[in-house]
Amino acid sequence: MSRLSLGWTLPAYSVLLYAFLYLPIAVIVLFAFDAKAIPGLPIDTFTTDWFAVSLADTRLVGSLFTSIRLALLAAVLSTALAMPAAMVLAWRPVRMKSLVLCLVLGPVVLPQLVLGLGLIVLFRAAPDLIGSPAIVLAHTTMTSSYATLMLYSRFLGFRRSYIEAAMNLGADEFVTFREVVLPLVAPSLIAVLLLAFTDAFGEFVVAWFLAGFTETLPIAIWTSLRQVISPKIYALSALVILVTLFVSVSAQIWILGQSRRECES
Amino acid sequence: MTEPVPNAVELRAVSKVYGASTAVREVSMDIARGAFVTILGPSGCGKSTLLRMISGFVSPSSGDVLIDGVSVLGAAPYERDTAMVFQDYALFPHRTVAQNLAFGLRMRKVAKDEIARRVEAMLELVNLKGFGDRRVSQMSGGQAQRVALGRALIVRPAVLLLDEPLGALDLKLRKQMQAELKTIHRDLGLTFVAVTHDQEEALTLSDRIAVMNGGALEQFDTPENLYRRPATRFVADFVGNANLFDARLGSDGRVEAQGLPLTLFLNPVQRGGRQSGAAIALVVRPETIAVGATAPESHDGRVEAQVEEIMFSGAVQQIVGRLPDGRRITAHQSAALPAPERGTTAVFSWPSQSVWLVDA
Amino acid sequence: MSAARDIARRRSRLRAALPAAGLLPLVLWQIVFFVVPVALILGLSVWRSQSYRLIPAFTFDNYIAIFARPAIWRALLLSVETAAFVTVACAVLAYPVAYFIAKKAGRWRGLLLVAVIAPFWISIVMRVAAWRLLLGERGVINQMAIALGLTEAPMSFLLYSPVSTAIGLIYAYLPLYVLPLYAAISNIHDNWIDAAMDLNASPTRTFFEVILPLSAPGLVVGAVFCFVFGLGEFVTPALLGGGKQLMFSQVIQDEFQRRLDWPSGAAMAVVLLVLVFASLALSMKWIRRASGETGL
Ligand SMILES: Nc1ncnc2c1ncn2[C@@H]1O[C@H](COP(=O)(O)OP(=O)(O)OP(=O)(O)O)[C@@H](O)[C@H]1O
Ligand SMILES: [Mg+2]
Repeated sequence: MSRLSLGWTLPAYSVLLYAFLYLPIAVIVLFAFDAKAIPGLPIDTFTTDWFAVSLADTRLVGSLFTSIRLALLAAVLSTALAMPAAMVLAWRPVRMKSLVLCLVLGPVVLPQLVLGLGLIVLFRAAPDLIGSPAIVLAHTTMTSSYATLMLYSRFLGFRRSYIEAAMNLGADEFVTFREVVLPLVAPSLIAVLLLAFTDAFGEFVVAWFLAGFTETLPIAIWTSLRQVISPKIYALSALVILVTLFVSVSAQIWILGQSRRECES
Repeated sequence: MTEPVPNAVELRAVSKVYGASTAVREVSMDIARGAFVTILGPSGCGKSTLLRMISGFVSPSSGDVLIDGVSVLGAAPYERDTAMVFQDYALFPHRTVAQNLAFGLRMRKVAKDEIARRVEAMLELVNLKGFGDRRVSQMSGGQAQRVALGRALIVRPAVLLLDEPLGALDLKLRKQMQAELKTIHRDLGLTFVAVTHDQEEALTLSDRIAVMNGGALEQFDTPENLYRRPATRFVADFVGNANLFDARLGSDGRVEAQGLPLTLFLNPVQRGGRQSGAAIALVVRPETIAVGATAPESHDGRVEAQVEEIMFSGAVQQIVGRLPDGRRITAHQSAALPAPERGTTAVFSWPSQSVWLVDA
Repeated sequence: MSAARDIARRRSRLRAALPAAGLLPLVLWQIVFFVVPVALILGLSVWRSQSYRLIPAFTFDNYIAIFARPAIWRALLLSVETAAFVTVACAVLAYPVAYFIAKKAGRWRGLLLVAVIAPFWISIVMRVAAWRLLLGERGVINQMAIALGLTEAPMSFLLYSPVSTAIGLIYAYLPLYVLPLYAAISNIHDNWIDAAMDLNASPTRTFFEVILPLSAPGLVVGAVFCFVFGLGEFVTPALLGGGKQLMFSQVIQDEFQRRLDWPSGAAMAVVLLVLVFASLALSMKWIRRASGETGL
């Protein structure tokens, strides 16, 4: 017990910090139940009406479904792009690997604003794509970077002898992938899909630039934030936030368990 | 068709170069069908690389690899009739024991009932009857080793490759698995090529041993020849224990050791056609050396040394002496014989026909 | 025999093409949707615009023009100051928690780590909306403060000011800072700490002479990402900053979308890019070291 011990201060501080992190979330969820038309603190009456109101708002719900649809597409596309690339990067000697990595990881550090503006200029060449297609293309660009990074580290940790054993027993590259690689990385793959979906679902800046007349949920909320906000926005946000938290937490716990099992075996 | 039965494996001047370093250098080897061959050598000498060139995971930089008389250069691992037992077993963790065993047969599109039959038979062969539905994570080290062996054997490969198959097992289990491996080899009549750096394992298991050093093949021979007639100084030193004395070959088989009052006369077989004047090393095995106050009549090789250390290990006692020039000489003799006193000077002696020569 | 060889040769050629086939789609995609847009911005920044029409040219007039505007300087300065402040604040706030998770949380460390990062995945727009509820004149914090008698009148500086932008940014990037810090701190072996204490170093000295230097890679990497993201962040200042004091990203967006002077906006974007890549380049050594040590 000679280790640096700060007694109760460290845990107490940590509790405060977690409170800071979850305070805004709690407030949104709380005000979703406030009966007043303009939410404010003394909450006298609680109601669940706002949830019904928000779900009856076709425009709002329409934007939610647009977001879900576009984010699904981006998640699937980016995972499909990222997986083979991550395998090659992790398992094969690649010429100019650092250049390729820079190319793949660039969108992570590039300010979203700059990417968005650049894409506006690019899509001048194809104005028909403005709207949903442009949003999906842009989000895929951004999420495929994260997806490649996560899958790259997963594949680096993958035991090569599994693949060699399969090939040695007569499975070619494709059968080996189907029979051995895919089943073993499936959990990571699902986790990456979920995280890519979450990321694309919530992204605002680039989508806003490229949206045209398309309205995603973040864009709808942005628009409503410029006026007096109806509590139905909070109700819908609360729902979405809870789902997002659930999805991202389970995806990450999944990854965590996965890497722990890998360490044990 | 000069050869009616082609060799299971033929390596023809195979090399593998990684950038500036050469992992395997011009290795040529013929492995007959049904043989049990081990590749032996110190860590990093290129054993695994050689094995992986046979299995197809590494493609040679130059040279040719033939399996059953046909060149397999350019053939992928799954196009070669080899099966491998991996050092870490590489059992598929998402499959049961039976599914692991069935994998190779499924890849070969064997009929379902045939697969079931052969899996059952294999479980019996490797002493795992009733374990078919277990997850591989529930298997102990020895059991997992058997599953790995069975998974490779079940496809009846032309060559079974084993990369340090017993490396992960404890000593007792290792001995037991060595015996099982030997039995299975005899019963199935398949060609086995194993890698090990445990020389005792190599000596007990195999018909022939390939000793490698620094990527090159030093000698490929039977265990007995390797021990009695080592081809190089490295082999003499690496396989078993040896006392090596640098010497020069004189005329008529006369040999004079350098820096020691030691002269021997060797017969033409021992000289192996070497010219007089050749720099050589004498290989004297410790168990041929007797230690005492005087040398027996028949022992014409003799040196005096100060007894420095005596170690008992059961039936044998190891006696280490210090020669006048400071080097050490080791003798193994029966523990039943009287041991000299430590610190005294004794005569270490051996018959000259038990000596072997290698190039210095 | 030769037919079999032919097939073997064709298959081995196919196998040799597999790595390229796996990498190519992503690389092509990133070239079209990442490299080309950035190149377009670079190219556009040396064009001219005349009555909302783009005229191809090669001139640095845009750069000269933007640096002649004091408003641009003010915005740039505000952005750098805010990003720097946010970075320092995040480092100070994140360090103890990262230390707690890495060294004290025992078997809860995985869950606690995930819990720190989880809010990061919530849409930035929603997070900012929540802060408006908290910081507004009739917001939760003001009403609480009044109810507790801490202030008479609501604190109006809380919302629509650089303060609220900073709070929003700290909130947004705190999780991002905990991650590399956690990785660095959990790489510090407990026996190193014990050894220092055994050599009679006080806890404070142990911290400053052993723990802090060893967590430097995490500190630097976290700082770089915090700073870089803070510089370019748009949503938070746009919704919390109030529009009186503009940040650089807002000015760029304004130039592009309201004034429709794309070349001038592109030049500003290039300035932002240069700042970002200069920070990255300066810290490359540390990023390498951190990723080498954590095996990321
Ligand atoms: N992919 C590779 N790239 C570069 N060098 C390699 C590669 N694989 C092996 N080597 C080198 O080739 C040499 C032989 O390696 P190999 O694995 O065949 O040795 P080994 O005899 O099996 O050793 P051990 O007993 O330790 O397993 C080593 O020096 C090793 O560093
Ligand atoms: Mg090896």
